[in-house]
Amino acid sequence: MRRPPTLSRRSLLTGALWLSLSGKGGAASPVIVGSKLDLEGALLGHMALLALRRAGIETQNRLQIGPTAILREALLSGAIDLCVEYTGNAAFFFHQDDDPVWKDAEAGYARAAELDYRRNSLVWLRPAPADNSWAIAVPNRLAREKSLATLEDFARFARDGNRIKLAASAEFVESAAGLPAFETAYGFKLEARQLLVLSGGETSATMKAAADGMSGVNAAMAYGADGALEALDLLALEDPRHAEPVYAPAPVVRAATLELYPNIRQALAPVFASLDLATLRDLNEKVAVEGEAAAAVALAFLGAKGLLD
Amino acid sequence: MTPIVHNRVLLALCLVGALAALYGEFLNSAPNRLAGSVALPLWQAPLLEAAAAMAGLGALTVLAFAAQVKLRSYATLLVAVLVLWASLSGAGHFATLLSSASPPAARYSLGATFWTLVAVALLAMLDAVQRMKLALALRVGLVAALCFGFVLMAQAGRFADLSLAKEFSSHRAIFFSELGRHLALVGAAIFFALCMGVPLTALVLRKAKACGVVFASLGIVQTIPSIALFGVLIAPLSALSRDLPFLRDLGVGGTGPAPAIIALTLYSLLPLVRSFYTGLAEVAEDVKDAAIGMGFGARNLFFAVELPLGLPALLSGLRVATIQAIGLAAVAALIGAGGLGAFVFQGVGEYALDLVLVGAIPIILLALAADFIFQMLIASARRRI
Repeated sequence: MRRPPTLSRRSLLTGALWLSLSGKGGAASPVIVGSKLDLEGALLGHMALLALRRAGIETQNRLQIGPTAILREALLSGAIDLCVEYTGNAAFFFHQDDDPVWKDAEAGYARAAELDYRRNSLVWLRPAPADNSWAIAVPNRLAREKSLATLEDFARFARDGNRIKLAASAEFVESAAGLPAFETAYGFKLEARQLLVLSGGETSATMKAAADGMSGVNAAMAYGADGALEALDLLALEDPRHAEPVYAPAPVVRAATLELYPNIRQALAPVFASLDLATLRDLNEKVAVEGEAAAAVALAFLGAKGLLD
Repeated sequence: MTPIVHNRVLLALCLVGALAALYGEFLNSAPNRLAGSVALPLWQAPLLEAAAAMAGLGALTVLAFAAQVKLRSYATLLVAVLVLWASLSGAGHFATLLSSASPPAARYSLGATFWTLVAVALLAMLDAVQRMKLALALRVGLVAALCFGFVLMAQAGRFADLSLAKEFSSHRAIFFSELGRHLALVGAAIFFALCMGVPLTALVLRKAKACGVVFASLGIVQTIPSIALFGVLIAPLSALSRDLPFLRDLGVGGTGPAPAIIALTLYSLLPLVRSFYTGLAEVAEDVKDAAIGMGFGARNLFFAVELPLGLPALLSGLRVATIQAIGLAAVAALIGAGGLGAFVFQGVGEYALDLVLVGAIPIILLALAADFIFQMLIASARRRI
């Protein structure tokens, strides 16, 4: 006659399941590298993985685990040890959206590094010299017809009551550093019916919508470093009044992990230093438009720069 | 004299297939992953395969008028396999031809005509197999042969230039680990649902008053939208993992597998408990009385009488719960738990619909496989009663 499973056996099974799922345990635990769900996250994440492995550090790939909030939660809870974050997002994390310090690249980085180290024991390493901030992009055809080159023109276009339908992510529409920042700086306001809100943060979908005029969309949320702008015949409107904070990608690592592996700093510094806006845009284009695998593009780039020798 | 239609299903399928072949697009060609595509109809596909597909459809239409069941069914099987081969090989061959004259960024994705022809062929096969009441072993053999044929074509590089294959190969490195994560999520959820469901069923069986409360609460949980439940669990779990470090070491946190498994377990409970309860409650009273009269104790009664008689219903509930969990686990990718849903959400975000298929097709196949396995188990449990 079978005996029902005892509690001890059940708890052993439970423990085994958790351990196998979390993949932790052991003295020399690998550095778990996470990234955002989008393509640039995958690209920069793979670069970080390759650079760390080159430096002889054992890594675990947990790239593309979710949007900004999920990645932040995973980093804070220790589910991942290292990720690539944007300096401007620190304004969002620490509720200092209105502070003008974020508009300066160096000062913003210093503030982010100081706050996160003091409060969360997270170390921000040197960022890349690229400002991948939010932008509003319009089809080139519309830009030519209505003479739109900067956000000032766009604001005038909106105030004059022209038909606008902006496709954007929920993060962009709600974050004080996103659409509200543009609206305040340039003096226009888009109503709910003029917005098409998508739940994810990907600009490929929003830009494709604007390029094809889907659902009447004629403007899209885009990033400064987006690879598909040229391919989709879109123009990213300039931001002369600097409404946006600087979003420079930087590796963020838990202090405990950095103590265990201090050569993380030297491993990642040259990689990020070589990523300026034009380079980043070019790499993004290869992944988003030409459809090459992010890992392959990262490998080719680092190889070409001699960073894998 | 008007010809009599002996197989209306087959005729209807052929009609749908013909409409798709005439008006749909077989392949969609785009200059890169994001740009808009140009539709390419079936008759522009390579001659051999296009002709085979059209001829196959014509043959199936004729077969719909054939009277003899067995002969017609075997013929339908053969012709349907021909149509299937023509669609698959035709799509792959077409993509290869086009890509030899285009830059590497060009993308060729499968269009509505392709999917319709494949569906028509598979449904015609299913219909034929059911009408001729093919033995189980032969059915399994047929499925195995089709899969083997598909794998052979894939290994030969037939499909290499289709954008679906390109998306798969560029994500191949993580595909199998995400598949493993998906299965682990489903497995863990069903395991915990069983651990919780068995005592809950026992409670509901012994105390009739608990019945209302238990089923009402499980029903309410079932109505909560899955994304909402996943999201709602993040905050309390992160707070818990911050306060209790041993949980963090076990890998329990606000994001990751913990909230996903908890939510999946809760969703699996209702189908499980409901069918466990129904299965055990419907074991005939006189059978139980006879057993008690023969001197069976309570534990013996459960394991030797109630459980075997209620097993088909138990397995039925497990089948529903497993299939549901396989589908729901796709949403877990949104909260960092990984799984095949990761490809679905990446694809939606990147506007690469073939990447969505890289996630969705395995989920569908997993659900079909689970359904098949459980149906076998239920059938064998029924035979043993």
